[in-house]
Amino acid sequence: MKNIFRNCIYQGKNLFRDAGFSFWSLIYPLIMAVFFYITISGVMNLELENINVGIDSENPISYILEEIEFLNVHKVHEDEVFKKLDDEIDAFIDDDLNIKVKESGINQTIIKEVVEQIRQMKKLNRPFDKYDFSVDYILGRNQKANSLVIVFYSLIAMVSTYGVFAGIEVVNLIQANLSNIGARINITPLKKSKFLLSGVIVALLLNLFANSILLIFIKYVLKLNLFSEIKYSAILIIMGNLFGVALGVFIGSSNKKSDSVKIIMAITITLFLSFASGMMNPQIKVMIDEKAPILGKINPISIITNNLYRINLLNSTKSVGEGILILSLYCVALIFTSYIFLRGKNYDSI
Amino acid sequence: MTVFKYFIRIALRNKGVILSYTIIFFIFAIMNGSGTIQRQTNFMETRLDIGIIDNCNSELSNSLKDYLGKKNNIVDTMLDEEYIKEQIFLEVADAVIIIPEDFGEKVINKENSIKLYNDDRKVESLQIQNQINKFLTFVNATYENGEFNLVDVESALDEKAKVELVESNNVSSNDGITMWFKYYFNFTSYVIMAIYISAIGLVMTDFKDEYIQSRTKISSKKFLQFNKEMYLGQLVIASMITTIFILGSIALKGKYIGEVNFGKYVLNIVVFSFSALCLTFLINNVTRNKFVINALSTVLSLGTSFISGVMVPQQYLSEKVLTIAKFFPTYYFVRINEMTVNSFSDMRFGISMQLLFAVVFLLMGLYFSKTAQKA
Repeated sequence: MKNIFRNCIYQGKNLFRDAGFSFWSLIYPLIMAVFFYITISGVMNLELENINVGIDSENPISYILEEIEFLNVHKVHEDEVFKKLDDEIDAFIDDDLNIKVKESGINQTIIKEVVEQIRQMKKLNRPFDKYDFSVDYILGRNQKANSLVIVFYSLIAMVSTYGVFAGIEVVNLIQANLSNIGARINITPLKKSKFLLSGVIVALLLNLFANSILLIFIKYVLKLNLFSEIKYSAILIIMGNLFGVALGVFIGSSNKKSDSVKIIMAITITLFLSFASGMMNPQIKVMIDEKAPILGKINPISIITNNLYRINLLNSTKSVGEGILILSLYCVALIFTSYIFLRGKNYDSI
Repeated sequence: MTVFKYFIRIALRNKGVILSYTIIFFIFAIMNGSGTIQRQTNFMETRLDIGIIDNCNSELSNSLKDYLGKKNNIVDTMLDEEYIKEQIFLEVADAVIIIPEDFGEKVINKENSIKLYNDDRKVESLQIQNQINKFLTFVNATYENGEFNLVDVESALDEKAKVELVESNNVSSNDGITMWFKYYFNFTSYVIMAIYISAIGLVMTDFKDEYIQSRTKISSKKFLQFNKEMYLGQLVIASMITTIFILGSIALKGKYIGEVNFGKYVLNIVVFSFSALCLTFLINNVTRNKFVINALSTVLSLGTSFISGVMVPQQYLSEKVLTIAKFFPTYYFVRINEMTVNSFSDMRFGISMQLLFAVVFLLMGLYFSKTAQKA
């Protein structure tokens, strides 16, 4: 026990001084969080631009259209319509209240709605003061979800697996064929299994520490409240950490490539999984759910992201158990295969 | 050509970086384009998938359901909040509405009556609110002597505006295939920048190794010749990478090339590649630390992509973000991909800006290399 504790301290110091760890685990997540925040807050605060609509000067409803706040009415001559539709106007309304467009989009749909409503009110033929457009018949919208939050869940899911770097480092330290220190440790009476265990503990603790810094940063600097349920969220993040470290040990032990190549492998794998879980663009997750739903179910980062979302925004803990089970299976499988690579070996020369 | 030969050899030894980015990129490109791409021939209104739970089952509520059903696709749902939220989360439904028992009364009193769950991730899902409010406003307008005139409302709502889609001589920006090419090349800029910085950067760190440098200095090879070969090597590797992505687009969607302005994309990506290469040159002169290069490769490529509109369209980004983005070539690259280009003069500004950045990066790189030599 004392041994493990001492090893933990040494390895902790070693890891903490490693530039790779401090950058990828501590600083990089913060940089990403800022990027997400500045990009997506733009989307959230999006103000709809006015819609440009063209009409002939004789148009019977021009006075109504000019009253509508979000429309810019342009007087366009019939002959120019084709050209103006290219850039100046989104749609052209002719004198019979039919519409000409060059593409289908939100603006065109809105113009269509407006024109249709005018036509429909004409047909319904009721006095204008009977219409009360100020009434809202809708009650209690589901305001909680917002896309900003979802992206942050996948960011947290991704960095929770960043124990992968520490995992790689630990293996590097104990394998005789990977580093000089490894070779030296192998001839000492130091027990490899204990050294590995303390490495895993350190990796877990340090990465959890890095995660907490990110969470604090999100909560107090970016002022986003992500967690309403703590217990399951914490379990998921810890499972993510465990998965990350296991993956790191696996990457570290399974090949003899240099350290920097292994780190690139780790970044690529985690970035790819996060990408597929919708971190960069939520459309990608939708596309994967449509084309290959199984990928979403087995992608560890998707599991964490989706469950964090379900727990905290939908108050549903239904699929948490399944998610945790799959993550544990991954950990067991990765650690077991790594064990095969790590077992005692003899070298004639190194 | 010893230097050139070894440059290429070391670069190919680092093929892992190039391959991993390339393979992942193509997996996504293939998945994204596997649906059939149709040319738009009709005006399409956005139809949502909505679920309706009717607790009232009156004439009014049925009439509302009929109206919404005409404008949207109805999906099955259940009166269970958790189930509804899950449906929306998985995007099975864009919105679910619950009609209360005392619906008629509430409508007459102009009270909030319908409970709506909608997907806030999608702007279109707001459409359903407008449809419901419009229907009920109309219904209320016909309220006389204690009853609604639903027949009138129905026939009025059947009144449609005819929408004619004029054939465009430009390829429309909303067209499926144009969208595909736009996304493909936008994402290519991200991958190219990431690969250039890390692949070429890693080779350069080997060349700039102190021992190697001392040896090359005492060799009979002229400094100029040495540099020439090294830059030729960079150029060859860079062109190879860019060519892979251009050929990739032809391989995936070659038969549609006639329908888009393919020349625009190719010219744009070539110019962008050049400026990304110059950026790599600058980075290589600032640092020779492999670790810093890896970090810069990820942060710069992802960062510029985020703020320049590769990940999220530029129209959604705030002014401030775009102002920062203007200091990177990616912004101008994306701008050209987004716009309809009729002649070269349309894209002249964007192209010259990218070239200008290339020159600036190059000059800065030269400055740093000079100061490093003096030191």
